[in-house]
Amino acid sequence: MARRMLLSGNEAIVYGALDAGCRFYAGYPITPSSEIMHLMAKEMPRVGGVFIQAEDELAAINMVIGASWGGLKSMTATSGPGLSLMQEGIGYAVMTETPLVIVDVMRTGPATGQATKPAQGDLMQARWGRHGDQYLVVLAAQDPQEAYDLVIEAFNIAEELRTPVILLIDEFIGHGREVVVVGKDVVIKNRRLPPPSGEWMPFDSEDPRQASPMPLLGKGYYVLVTGSTHNEYGYRDVHSFETHYRLVKRIKEKIIGNLDKMPKPIVLGKPDDAETAIVCFGSVCRSAREAFYKLRERGFRMVFVRLRTLWPLDYDHLSRILDNVEAVIVPELSLGQLIHDVREAVDTSTRVIGVNKVGGGLPIYPSEIIKVVKEACRK
Amino acid sequence: MASIAFLGRGGQGIVFAATITAETLFNLGYYVAQLQSYGAEVRGGSVLAHIVYDNKTIENPFIEQYDLAIVLHEAGLKRWIKHLEKSKTIIVDKDLVKTRMDNMVTAPIIENVAREKLSGSENIVAVGIAMQLLLGREAIAVAKSILEKRSSPEKNIKALELGTTIALNLGINMA
Amino acid sequence: MSMPIHPSRRYLREETLPTAFCPGCYNGIVMNALFQAFKEMGVEDLRDYVFVSGIGCSSWIPSPYIKADSIHTLHGRAIPVATGVKLSRPELNVVVIAGDGDLASIGGNHLLHAARRNMDLVVVMINNLVYGMTRGQLAPTTPRGMKTITTPYGNPENPFDVARLLGYTEANYVARWCVCNYIQLKNSFKEVFTRIKRGFRFIEVYAPCITYVVRREKKSPGEKLKELMRRCIPLKKYYSLLDNERGDKIPIGVYKAEDKPGFLENYRAYIRKAMEG
Repeated sequence: MARRMLLSGNEAIVYGALDAGCRFYAGYPITPSSEIMHLMAKEMPRVGGVFIQAEDELAAINMVIGASWGGLKSMTATSGPGLSLMQEGIGYAVMTETPLVIVDVMRTGPATGQATKPAQGDLMQARWGRHGDQYLVVLAAQDPQEAYDLVIEAFNIAEELRTPVILLIDEFIGHGREVVVVGKDVVIKNRRLPPPSGEWMPFDSEDPRQASPMPLLGKGYYVLVTGSTHNEYGYRDVHSFETHYRLVKRIKEKIIGNLDKMPKPIVLGKPDDAETAIVCFGSVCRSAREAFYKLRERGFRMVFVRLRTLWPLDYDHLSRILDNVEAVIVPELSLGQLIHDVREAVDTSTRVIGVNKVGGGLPIYPSEIIKVVKEACRK
Repeated sequence: MASIAFLGRGGQGIVFAATITAETLFNLGYYVAQLQSYGAEVRGGSVLAHIVYDNKTIENPFIEQYDLAIVLHEAGLKRWIKHLEKSKTIIVDKDLVKTRMDNMVTAPIIENVAREKLSGSENIVAVGIAMQLLLGREAIAVAKSILEKRSSPEKNIKALELGTTIALNLGINMA
Repeated sequence: MSMPIHPSRRYLREETLPTAFCPGCYNGIVMNALFQAFKEMGVEDLRDYVFVSGIGCSSWIPSPYIKADSIHTLHGRAIPVATGVKLSRPELNVVVIAGDGDLASIGGNHLLHAARRNMDLVVVMINNLVYGMTRGQLAPTTPRGMKTITTPYGNPENPFDVARLLGYTEANYVARWCVCNYIQLKNSFKEVFTRIKRGFRFIEVYAPCITYVVRREKKSPGEKLKELMRRCIPLKKYYSLLDNERGDKIPIGVYKAEDKPGFLENYRAYIRKAMEG
């Protein structure tokens, strides 16, 4: 039943995760994500789930991996430094096709940075923080309501595609409180289980877009899970080209090939008619959208693109939207990471201009974006 | 859309004031967004918390000025001066804040808090001032019912009422 | 006339045999003791067991050779993965088999905290004294003075006495046996699966790496076993000796055997409290 609540983004994450069926949480305290852990500690035992405070982030992510193979929908939450520590485990989850959700409440960095201050500098580490060829899903929410909605989406994608999913929010969203509608028609997806009879493979699929069935432990399947290169049945093969290439390529295609299952970008304005575009993700989109409306009122021909799926990124779609514009403004609470994607999506004649501000807990204000757009249009 | 900011020193309970205000507005049926700059500031530095409320979804809580700001800390005022210069009305404690600006109204908050033996509750006095000025008695009643469920309800409700009285004596009308 | 089938074969993935272990590797003795224990316990198959291992030679015992569910984790992370499995599936027996480098060095923190929690796991640490899979580098268990590829002039560091260390924690069961103590090792396995079925149960098996320890000493696996039999003494006697009297002796025996409720039982009580409140 739908309920209207006044929630911080961190609290909304907990209610979303529990509504999605999450029944295992392991985490290590870190600002500004700790409130997720605090509320999980309170709510998870009440629904009969498991909550455990791990000894460190390495333990947390690996406990989540173990619980996911045990059959529970599992998650952890952390912030930049913790995500850095979890990276090896996330790579293992990619390689073993283990469904799980990681929420990263972004703060400034590198290192300890300003622990209580928001930032958006984890985009690249969320996508690429692991060694080797690995693909997973990265989503980003703009406010507590979307944090609730997308953590449910994150579980659905994780389970359906047997993959880790990282959901990015930031300190503004995590600590900011807003009205959130929870419990509205939530669609839940579950992992595919092995068929009762016939041939099946735990680590291969005839359709590259479909995840293999995931066997439960303790049911006599004699599951072999390994982070080493393995064949379709899980047997280690650390020598042959074919096995390795096929495995990493299949995992890549499983993620890239399912773009249509990921949350779509929100596009405002008419791309065909626009001279200038704003492309953004996360909390900064709210100032960017206000700037967009104000500029449009003043006669600027604009298009606004808010990305909700940061990886895989639909470059073709973005290219089509940005095809006619002369300048793209990319506001980010970092020195610029999404801007590289935008550059990849446009041709070299299009100007790509960052609005970059990070530190001290300051947001990017609409006026700062408006100023840059005006300057860009003057040229 | 309207906005309220509370600005003070760490330890004054600024975030709590914003929380009670946000819950009051939420219970009155508004869409609310509450943001705060806190963390290490809680230990002595300045703390700013603001609330944006509206009858429809809040498009953007990252605002650059406030309809009403209540300031209890001189250093905090300096840090957020750009926002405050553009704000409609700023109420400052007449003893704690020395700076004066055209959009400022002084209020004897700390003086009254000391007289009524409500030290430490200046944050709730500020809530009373803000609610009375912007929304009137109905909001005060809702805030009271929220404070009743929190710790030290008697002291806090007295502080809320003190805020109401101070607001009425300011002789300004914002509602 | 058909060949009699070896009783251990039902616990093995036959298609993965022979093992990749070096000729003479003591991993075989550990496997045999484990399987003998299962056989004596009347275990038909291992579908109720989940084996979790890390990175290293001993971690290959369950993955892929044991016919059971097995998770071959990252280096050092067997215990947290096993913890996740156990907490999500309390009805399964979760067994960690890994080496001293994996459990006591890169995964040392997890080992201590799982023992502190008295987490309901059986952990078998095969202590081969070196990093055997990667050419025999220094391990946290390498004796002082021993030459390895990273201590070519003799190890200047002190080793961990892992079993003794865990003896001071909340773990229910801690024992150390040598590969030459086959019967005791087998009985220890039976003990942790039948008599003490809860809490953290830790068995260290002293099993020097055949390639990077034994062969370097120019000994055969058999000669080394004879030497180990001479060196093993009951732990009470060992710790009553002065440092300079201990020489090359190896303390063996049970450091502690208790049957306190493990993490899971305590957590169940905690959940009941949450649901009532």
